[in-house]
Amino acid sequence: MSVEVRDIHFSYGKVKALDGVDLDLPQGAIGLLGPNGAGKSTLIRILLGFLSPDRGGGKVLDYDIKHQQTEIRRYVGYMPEDDCFIPGMDAVSFTSYLGELSGMPRQEAIKRAHEVLFYVGLEESRYRMLETYSGGMKQRLKLAQAIVHDPKLIFLDEPTSGLDPQGRSEILELIMDISSKKDIQVLISSHILPDIELTCSYVVILNKGKPAAQGKISDLKEIKYNLYEMRIKHEREKFLQVLRDMKCRVEETEDQLLKIYIPPDLDPQEIFRIASEGKTQIRHFVKSQTSLEDLFAEVVGVD
Amino acid sequence: MTIKEKGYTHWEGRLKNGKFPWWPITRYGIKLTFKKKFFKFFFFGTLLPALVYLVGIYVSERLEDFKSMVRESPALLNINPGYFKSYFTNDFLLFMMVMILVFAGGGLISDDLKYNSLQLYFSRPLRKKDYFFGKASVLVFFLLIVTLIPGLILFIFKLIFSGSFKFFVSYPWLPISVIGYSFLVTAFFSFYALLISSLSKNRRYVAILIFSTYVFSDILFGIFYGIYKSPYFSLLSLKVNLQQVGAFIFNQKMQYSVSWIYSFLVLAGVCVLAGFTLKKRIRGVEVVK
Repeated sequence: MSVEVRDIHFSYGKVKALDGVDLDLPQGAIGLLGPNGAGKSTLIRILLGFLSPDRGGGKVLDYDIKHQQTEIRRYVGYMPEDDCFIPGMDAVSFTSYLGELSGMPRQEAIKRAHEVLFYVGLEESRYRMLETYSGGMKQRLKLAQAIVHDPKLIFLDEPTSGLDPQGRSEILELIMDISSKKDIQVLISSHILPDIELTCSYVVILNKGKPAAQGKISDLKEIKYNLYEMRIKHEREKFLQVLRDMKCRVEETEDQLLKIYIPPDLDPQEIFRIASEGKTQIRHFVKSQTSLEDLFAEVVGVD
Repeated sequence: MTIKEKGYTHWEGRLKNGKFPWWPITRYGIKLTFKKKFFKFFFFGTLLPALVYLVGIYVSERLEDFKSMVRESPALLNINPGYFKSYFTNDFLLFMMVMILVFAGGGLISDDLKYNSLQLYFSRPLRKKDYFFGKASVLVFFLLIVTLIPGLILFIFKLIFSGSFKFFVSYPWLPISVIGYSFLVTAFFSFYALLISSLSKNRRYVAILIFSTYVFSDILFGIFYGIYKSPYFSLLSLKVNLQQVGAFIFNQKMQYSVSWIYSFLVLAGVCVLAGFTLKKRIRGVEVVK
């Protein structure tokens, strides 16, 4: 396990950001999902040692998060969510500078800076002053500085925020390429579900500072719920109320399509029985193609 | 095959655990400072007093040749610890050092606050003290160039021009005073500039504050001293405090009849305040608890 944390608690004053987080993250690309304020960035900051947990502890790459923060940061790359750069520098100076601060020899850092800037697609503008960079370019630059020292673990905090569709797809391609290397682990924090679904095989969903679900995306989709799409006629409200009473979660789309989350222990045949008793016609009933969005909605409880 | 076609490649080298992880911060800080407009002009202007004092030492050893120029005031060129004290504590040099702080120190931390770059530093294997050393060393570099180096050069050239070690035998403690005062004034100004730089995200405000605090403290002293005639108001002035401590270190008479210890405590107080503030302000993320 490259990241293991136990019973992590952290509060900003009276606001609880993390409330007893336990994680065992395997190798590969891992998605850290959650609505705004779920505690994703706080968790990453604790793993990096920016913040010290109020309670609990853990290890990143076998280094203790409370006492060996310097060692963790030597082997970890971090792409922050906010715009951040050092004024007065061009991309090569900036990237090599941060490589040097990670412990790379100067000449090696410069050489590697050129390589990673080519890799992220900033080859043409690598000698431009950073103040003149667009939002998308800054996002690529942040990725470049995170990988310049060839880290074993990379934390990407909202890597596609503020990017146009083309830029987003390019960044995701890069992330997939990096995480395809078996010896590099990538932890992506995002609230953009398709990004996580595309790049990660394992996901942790945080909600209100607690893990609401974690595991392989494929396993979570199968185990956690059965989703059916349905169209009905006649007795509508009464039928839906009975379903809700049976702990089914019901959502309705604009075109009157019903999405029914059925608990694992409920037989779908039961729905037909209820419909028959209540004189409700079922006109359409198919098992839905589940997505991470559905899983997210199920565990976080939002649409 | 381009790197993009090749995909992500590993770096073959090995990350080192250097003894001075802050050194790149200092090197880039110095480099970026030299790129600033007018900085070189001010910096080399700061070395002018050293040149004048060096000429003074030369003239003092060749009084016969310069009799017509020196005329009736050869006492002015009496080279002794007072001569060194007057170099280190003259108003012009101190003012120019403040100008160096304005140029080199203004954006040191405030820019990192403004552009959120502290998190980039602290996502590297750097501790707070490494960051602080790195930033402070930029100022230490410039300030020692205008204090320690000229001070030692003046001393060495005095020995060379006089052709004997008599001066050294008479004042064997003088090199220690030069080193001691250089480090004291450098440490104070470094803490002072970093303190103010950590207070705002706007480097212009910081620059104005560095300059105006220094000047205003002296004006305030002048006003109160003019009204009440109490030498204790000299403690209000950063400049006078530095001069008082300088007078003690060079074994000279104090300009104001206030113990140098009080002045030293004022300067030390500013440094402690700076240390405390920097500890609070320098962090990887802003946390409001």
